Amino acid sequence: MLKKIECFIQPLKLDGLKDALIDAGVEGITMTEVSGFGRQRGYAQGEKPNKDVKFLPKVKLEIVVDEEILDNVTKTIVKLAATGEFGSGKIFILPVEDAIRIRTKESGISAIT
Amino acid sequence: MTLSRLDATMDLLNIKPGMQKYLREPRKTLEVSVPIKTDAGNIEIFKGYRVQHNTNRGPAKGGIRYHPDVNLDEIKALAMLMTWKCSLVGLPFGGAKGGVIADPAKLSLNELEHITRRYTFEIIDAIGPDKDIPAPDVGTNAQVMAWILDTYSMDKGHSVPGVVTGKPISLGGSQGREDATSRGCVYTILSTLKVMGIDSTDLSVAVQGFGNVGGNAAKILHDLGFKIIAISDVSCCLYDKKGLNPYEIDDFFKKNKTISGYSSAEELPREDIFGLECDMLVPAALENQITEKNAGAIKAKIVAEGANAPTTPEADKILKQNNIFVIPDVLANAGGVTVSYFEWVQGNLSYFWTKREVNLKLRDIMEKAFYETYKFSNEHKVDMRTAASMLAVSSVAEATSLRGIYP
Repeated sequence: MLKKIECFIQPLKLDGLKDALIDAGVEGITMTEVSGFGRQRGYAQGEKPNKDVKFLPKVKLEIVVDEEILDNVTKTIVKLAATGEFGSGKIFILPVEDAIRIRTKESGISAIT
Repeated sequence: MTLSRLDATMDLLNIKPGMQKYLREPRKTLEVSVPIKTDAGNIEIFKGYRVQHNTNRGPAKGGIRYHPDVNLDEIKALAMLMTWKCSLVGLPFGGAKGGVIADPAKLSLNELEHITRRYTFEIIDAIGPDKDIPAPDVGTNAQVMAWILDTYSMDKGHSVPGVVTGKPISLGGSQGREDATSRGCVYTILSTLKVMGIDSTDLSVAVQGFGNVGGNAAKILHDLGFKIIAISDVSCCLYDKKGLNPYEIDDFFKKNKTISGYSSAEELPREDIFGLECDMLVPAALENQITEKNAGAIKAKIVAEGANAPTTPEADKILKQNNIFVIPDVLANAGGVTVSYFEWVQGNLSYFWTKREVNLKLRDIMEKAFYETYKFSNEHKVDMRTAASMLAVSSVAEATSLRGIYP
């Protein structure tokens, strides 16, 4: 079964993560520079928040994998994207109904491997 | 839950005396003789029981145990516990329990098969996928379930995999059944940490019991980053404040049939596990292990009852006085029957789920049950055990009252 991982991480963590994800079996990654906030409303630990939320730069990764390697991939992200502080990011896992490779018309797992 | 706790719960819920009588009584009690021819050619008679407590929320569900100390009162109490457990986590089952007075360690595989098949035959009219679905318990396992399945199917003339759960996967068992009780217990622990505002796994855990529940709980907690500082079984208590590796201990256990002698840890008397400095204690062995004698020594802040009724009522009071957060058995070990329910559902559909699907669905059910109980306990200013009992009993009382008395 195909699953999509959408994860939001600190931009500085991307470099260390991408090769490890390939080692974990990931065949493709889409990266977008985004901005967002979480429970901290964009304020660093110890900083005094006022009523305005702060959108901070983050990196969003979109990865589609087979369920077989999903746990391995999420474990890799958790390990390498952790900063030890608030705002390390989040991982969302979504079901994928189908995938199609445009060039070959392959579908399902064949489309992503 | 003992009868006295049930009475107290029903009083709290203002349940009328007539309904109280109804909820105390098992619906059906079978006592059967199980004669077999032993390997030596002699005739031996064993005594077996099957009790169905309340079936108003659905077919009865509960384990079958083979143990020399099996007795009818215990089976009745455990059948009732199953009613409350299924009710609390919202499974459409009533409670049952069965047992045979026998010591599997002293019987050959052949003799165990004969006991199982004859016992099944003696209770065959009472069980079935829509009536009463047995599962493994103390002294029984997937192989015993396979024999029950086969005996029942032979009698009916066609294969009926839905008559038991806890079957081998090749006969329609569910992924994730093996460690389901432990996984469910761990989900309740994680929810507890969440409501306590603890977002770290840098916590120490003592696990009492190294059978299916304790062993798997230790492994899952270890994988999540918790430090397992002590593991005990009937022989001793292994202790290392820097953390034990449950996988290595399991390898040792498989070779030696005991954890005693494992060289990479300090060996203490088994009773010492209760007094150790730790954040969490998981009693995952037998009943009545935490008593008024050792409860006062417990330093853990959370006790997650992986076993059934590990805490005596007197000990429970002491834990409460010491502000220890207890995740009661009906909640903490309901993961086993929940995945049994999944197995029954998958069997009925003849469509099977992946391990990931099973574990996610289990997490949903455990978290929902935990937060409902936690919310109820805060709203009504009662402890988690009382909250769980009240929620469980009230839903059975409601179902019983809606159905009315037949005829």
